[in-house]
Amino acid sequence: MKQNEMVAQKDYWAKSACKMCIHTCAIRAHVVDGVVVKIEGDPDNPGNRGKLCPKGQSGINRLYDPHRVKTPLKRTNPEKGVGVDPMWVPISWEEALSTTAEKLKAIREDDPRKLLVSINDFHRIHIWGWGAAFGSPHYFSTVGQYCGAAYHPTNGILDGAFAAINDYDHCKYWIQIGAGDGFSAHLHLASSIKRMADARVNRGMKLVVVEPRMSAGAAKADEWIATRPGTDRAFVLGMVYTMLYELNVYDAWFMRKHTNGIHLIQKDGNMLRNPENNKAMVWDTATGQARDSDAEMDIQDMALEGSYQVNGVECRPAFQVIKDSLADHTPERMSEICSVSAATIRRIAKEYSDAASIGSDITLDGKEYPYRPAAVNYYRGAIGHVDGGLDALAMKLVNLIVGNIDVPGGHLGVGLNHQQLIIEEGQDGMMKPQPHLLHPPGAFITKPDSFQMIEWYPIGIDPGHLCAANIMDPDHFGYDYQPEALIIEHSNPMWNLSQTPKVKEVFKKLKFIVAIDIVLNESSDWADIILPDLSYLESDLLICIESPMVTGYFYRRPVIKPLYDSRDATDILSDLAERIGFLPNWNGLLNHTCFLAPEYHLEPDKVYSNLELTDRMAKSIYGPDQGLEWFQEHGHATRLLRPDELYMSAAQKGLRIPIYFNFIKEVGEDLDKKMKAAGREWDTSSYLPVPIWRDSHPLHNVDPEYDMYAFAFKEAQSNFSESTTMPWIEEVISCQPIHLGVMINGKTAKAKGIKTGDVLKIESPFGVVEGLARVTEEVHPECIAISNTISRWSRHPVGKRKINTHFNQLLPADVKWTDGMTGHLETATRVKLTVIA
Amino acid sequence: MRYGMVVDLKRCVGCQACTVACKSENGNGPGIMYTKVLDQVSGEYPNVRKQFVPVLCNHCKNAPCQRVCPTGATYKREDGLVLVDHDKCMGCRACYVACPYNNRIFLKRGKTKSGYYGKEMTPYEKVKYAEHQDGIVEKCKFCAHRIDEGITETSCSQTCPADARIFGDLDDPESKVSRLIRSRGGRQPLCEDDTDPSVYYLD
Amino acid sequence: MGRAIPLVEKEFVSGFRQQTEWAWLIASAFFFGKVGSGLFIMSVVLDSRLGMLVGLLIVLVGKGGAHFLYLGRPWRFWRGMARPNSAWIARGIWAMSFMMAAGFLLLLLPMSSALYMPLAVFASICAFVVAVYDGFLLTSSPAIPIWNSALMPVLCMFYSFLGGTTMVLFMKHMGFMQLDEKFAAFLPTLEIGLLVANLLIVLMFLMGSINTGSAGRESFDLLVKGPYALPFFSLAIGVGLVFTLLMSVFGGAHAGAGTVALITVADLVGHFFIFFLLLKIGVFKPVLGFLKI
Ligand SMILES: Nc1nc2c(c(=O)[nH]1)N[C@H]1C(S)=C(S)[C@@H](COP(=O)(O)OP(=O)(O)OC[C@H]3O[C@@H](n4cnc5c(=O)[nH]c(N)nc54)[C@H](O)[C@@H]3O)O[C@H]1N2
Ligand SMILES: Nc1nc2c(c(=O)[nH]1)N[C@H]1C(S)=C(S)[C@@H](COP(=O)(O)OP(=O)(O)OC[C@H]3O[C@@H](n4cnc5c(=O)[nH]c(N)nc54)[C@H](O)[C@@H]3O)O[C@H]1N2
Ligand code: SF4
Ligand code: SF4
Ligand code: SF4
Ligand code: SF4
Ligand code: SF4
Ligand SMILES: [Mo]
Repeated sequence: MKQNEMVAQKDYWAKSACKMCIHTCAIRAHVVDGVVVKIEGDPDNPGNRGKLCPKGQSGINRLYDPHRVKTPLKRTNPEKGVGVDPMWVPISWEEALSTTAEKLKAIREDDPRKLLVSINDFHRIHIWGWGAAFGSPHYFSTVGQYCGAAYHPTNGILDGAFAAINDYDHCKYWIQIGAGDGFSAHLHLASSIKRMADARVNRGMKLVVVEPRMSAGAAKADEWIATRPGTDRAFVLGMVYTMLYELNVYDAWFMRKHTNGIHLIQKDGNMLRNPENNKAMVWDTATGQARDSDAEMDIQDMALEGSYQVNGVECRPAFQVIKDSLADHTPERMSEICSVSAATIRRIAKEYSDAASIGSDITLDGKEYPYRPAAVNYYRGAIGHVDGGLDALAMKLVNLIVGNIDVPGGHLGVGLNHQQLIIEEGQDGMMKPQPHLLHPPGAFITKPDSFQMIEWYPIGIDPGHLCAANIMDPDHFGYDYQPEALIIEHSNPMWNLSQTPKVKEVFKKLKFIVAIDIVLNESSDWADIILPDLSYLESDLLICIESPMVTGYFYRRPVIKPLYDSRDATDILSDLAERIGFLPNWNGLLNHTCFLAPEYHLEPDKVYSNLELTDRMAKSIYGPDQGLEWFQEHGHATRLLRPDELYMSAAQKGLRIPIYFNFIKEVGEDLDKKMKAAGREWDTSSYLPVPIWRDSHPLHNVDPEYDMYAFAFKEAQSNFSESTTMPWIEEVISCQPIHLGVMINGKTAKAKGIKTGDVLKIESPFGVVEGLARVTEEVHPECIAISNTISRWSRHPVGKRKINTHFNQLLPADVKWTDGMTGHLETATRVKLTVIA
Repeated sequence: MRYGMVVDLKRCVGCQACTVACKSENGNGPGIMYTKVLDQVSGEYPNVRKQFVPVLCNHCKNAPCQRVCPTGATYKREDGLVLVDHDKCMGCRACYVACPYNNRIFLKRGKTKSGYYGKEMTPYEKVKYAEHQDGIVEKCKFCAHRIDEGITETSCSQTCPADARIFGDLDDPESKVSRLIRSRGGRQPLCEDDTDPSVYYLD
Repeated sequence: MGRAIPLVEKEFVSGFRQQTEWAWLIASAFFFGKVGSGLFIMSVVLDSRLGMLVGLLIVLVGKGGAHFLYLGRPWRFWRGMARPNSAWIARGIWAMSFMMAAGFLLLLLPMSSALYMPLAVFASICAFVVAVYDGFLLTSSPAIPIWNSALMPVLCMFYSFLGGTTMVLFMKHMGFMQLDEKFAAFLPTLEIGLLVANLLIVLMFLMGSINTGSAGRESFDLLVKGPYALPFFSLAIGVGLVFTLLMSVFGGAHAGAGTVALITVADLVGHFFIFFLLLKIGVFKPVLGFLKI
């Protein structure tokens, strides 16, 4: 139904898409006399099948929040600071946009790099590049780096995917490490809870959850294994050792057929190549000689193990190299590191490899696939650390060993958008690594240009957390300019970035801040101008984000007429681009980020409305008959993925996937060379082709006076912490023990004389916060765990607890504390506790 | 016909979507929760067990709340629903102390006159709070208004992402609830009180 | 971990929950109901019209007023008479209404009237029901085990008699009531006897409540060890029963108006607090008892 016809009705249900977290569940809103009285899951959608999580249910709170920004606002109090009232006054759109454009135009003419950009709107990925089109290389915020910098690139390298998930429909033994999939967070929660529950209860899938805290998942698991933060790799490598050295189980067929485990590797770790044609080589046991990897060979004859001499060069198959690299990763040694007993590591390795039923097949839709119903799934908790790249590789390795990558029951790649997996041919018959699905990598330069130093993290995703340190100490890496302004859209850098005290200093420095927002947060409290965005229930968008098991676009449509004088963020940014004078760049970028087909390309000098853009995008992807009108009539264009889309994507194209990550090593060596040539000291030691444990991890080498670990977590009720401004959510979480204070283990608390309700001073080497103690058995004795829901200080009246504990104040944010390979920031820290009241 | 609910404790992940869905459906103001999900934690680290236990009115067959109600405001319907007639209730709260499950909620005077942001109510609150009265006792109504419209699914079970709340006819041996109770051995809460609840738990 | 099952308030944790709705207004109503009807019955027996009037007024204004104030929708109080067949509250309201009607009519009738005696008996029976129905109300609730005790109505009855007796003593010493000498001499002994009896019944009640299951035990602990132990032992038992008993035995009703006033106040304080505290310590059972905690 056309928009105006729909909203003209007295009583209707409008289909749209949720935006209360980063993902998108299909919803329908019940509207009576123009008022949204209920939001439910869209029962017809194959994704969430009518289900919503509590945040999705609370969308009404967000829509009708009286503290929403209703008109453009201007600050009248020149003083800025935490808790300082900006004394907003409403202004016209014209004044707001012209003031903003004037300031930014001046900056752009002077040096566009003086603008910091913080655009985090995950639903509108097409606008992320606005800063780049402006000419600013900066990203002063965090999305990917706090969760996926070390995750997305490895998925891209292994599956051509952005995310990954175990196969909900077929897995029988699911190990979940530091992730909320199916219980509390991560991919499409409302859909995944159902899939996980079906797997557990209907199919009797066994679930093991590895977490320093008893998360919702751990509570439901058959077994909860508590690790020390930042040591999950050790646990997993202990498993791998057990499998390779003690149980002798691994999927040799899979490695020979589908991976580079057979490629010969020289002593220095580099590939052995045929000097004549530069081809990778494998050892043919039938003929007893090295052959080109694409030579005709019986698969049985490809050597996985052993050591060989080829033209006088000593080499081993990649699999052997992996095995040798892990020769000292015994469960005993790994146990010391991760605090899980060696016996448990061995037992889990055994259960896991038994459950994988290596060698078995399954027929789906008339097609036979290998069947490996055991897999390890992981996310932020597991890899959000220094050496997170190696953590991610280790998690991949333990999956690869049983041959479960992209096969039924195993570990599956999940696409970023409708394109699903990006499978292209690379070198040596391998799939081309796709570490950069969000934007192309920053090209190396000898002096970093962006404050987040993306030029020096060739595999990583913008480590926005490095900005503050570089801005406050520009000489260290040689920045010869200073930022003057900041544009924020759907982002809260003051809250989300680590080492907040430094971030605050940056905010203080800035002469002009503009924020596109709908409810003010810790960051927009510092803005000079606020431009009100439409809420998700009032705006149009086609979205498809990391949806497991489902593909296609969800259609976010306005379920009512906009309540206030707000404008769609895309329209605001287009308008600004025109006023500032870079519309052609902006439109050129949109052609790309909206997947516009050539016939729908935008003219460089015309401002296109969001509706027009959406229409062109729809037609570009679905054809001329399926524009915006089609979506208004039919709703979402989502459907379940077919087995042939879910499984064996690389293999279907005859491409191998890596088990030996020489790509990473090569990138590291290349970077090392460039850095040396530039006379820079830069640690590239983490660019390893095989994940190993490294004792150098700074988290475990902190002054022992900081005797506890600390980390933060999400649960189903919270989105970061922003959802605490929703009264229904706030009401619920203020009754839930895990959200009522800093979780500390009973025995530890007793030893330290801490009781529930005590006010604690929590001190890390990087910052200090206060918190209310909550004594519990649900956390590792060496840790405190801090819910995101107790971390707010914005001026919004809802969600103010007696004591808020903003975890990020405790985190470090510098190069030392950043994963060298991927730029992931360290998300755990070390603290000492003192009772102060 | 006897409506009832099966709560599958194995499936429930404690997400509280049901708690919020109920508030949203019924326009329940601050502090009014017809249902909620309780944590039940036992043991010492590392041998800890945690269960999530959703609770709501059990629509007891022998409902003490109904028995003690002096006004007859609390009544039982043919289809098994135990409901409160808002216009008859005088707010004596005898039912509150009589419900073994502590599922009844008294709406203090003025409760429906202000919302989460104070006296100035949101458009949603204006519409939905009008369905309530203050000074009376309320509780989960098994979404009677939905049933009356022909939707035999409650708001909480509709949203429950884990499908841990299943609504249906206990009298029909072929209904999903009856089959689940048979096959998984459903148990009624506090059955020793002889209330014969219409909510069964699967553990 | 200390106690396995926690006592929880608004937290979403399964455990024992205290009832929070019936508190001082209901306790006041119970208190006035018992003192008033006790006084009324004694006054009927002693033929004191003033006593009857005061008794009626205490019930009407004190009990009625407290209930009225307590109701969420006070003007719907009349609806509370709808279901006497199953609800003790309805029975209570009926009893109170009859007591008022009969009681006031009685005041208007000369003693010599043929109607007087039957009406007096009827009014006294109604007053008796008013005095003890809340005991049945509490007993009939399966939800709160400590209330669910057969001794509850007995407790109510004895407190009512005690309250009535104390009030009569007080009125006599204040000179409001002329009593037959025989009765007057017997009163202090009755008072002492009732005090002892009440002490015993409270003791029995408490001993019985230890065995009312885990929730009853929780209530018991709250009363004798928990936050309510201090007011319980000092006010309900100490002031209300022990102090009054000692005063009655050693100072006694002969010690003069001042002492009697003190005894009266102490007794009433104890009376109010025992019921107030018994309400406060009402603890529900954990809902899913079968799930092992
Ligand atoms: N301590 C701690 N820090 C974390 C995390 C954590 O778990 N703990 N998580 C990290 C992760 S994984 C991520 S991805 C980041 C996320 O960090 P952010 O992207 O900053 O988080 P959000 O809270 O989703 O969004 C920021 C702001 O967007 C605004 N907003 C909401 N809706 C709209 C809208 O419709 N339009 C516009 N224009 N604005 C809107 C709100 O003001 C909100 O505060 O945080 C990271 N930081
Ligand atoms: N409910 C909800 N869902 C969401 C979001 C949301 O805000 N709310 N945001 C979306 C976004 S942007 C992201 S990034 C994902 C995040 O999804 P997840 O990564 O699943 O969620 P988190 O709670 O951030 O972190 C996962 C878990 O790691 C644990 N943990 C912390 N440190 C360690 C460690 O060292 N080792 C191990 N093994 N575990 C550890 C924490 O206790 C936590 O339970 O969720 C997405 N989905
Ligand atoms: S999982 Fe995310 S998108 Fe889905 S209902 Fe919850 S908040 Fe909305
Ligand atoms: S919605 Fe379902 S899974 Fe979530 S807490 Fe409620 S019953 Fe449990
Ligand atoms: S659960 Fe309580 S309120 Fe519901 S019917 Fe039973 S006794 Fe009544
Ligand atoms: S509060 Fe209302 S519903 Fe409850 S017993 Fe009294 S009159 Fe009946
Ligand atoms: S059945 Fe309806 S009223 Fe009862 S708890 Fe569920 S949503 Fe609320
Ligand atoms: Mo994230």
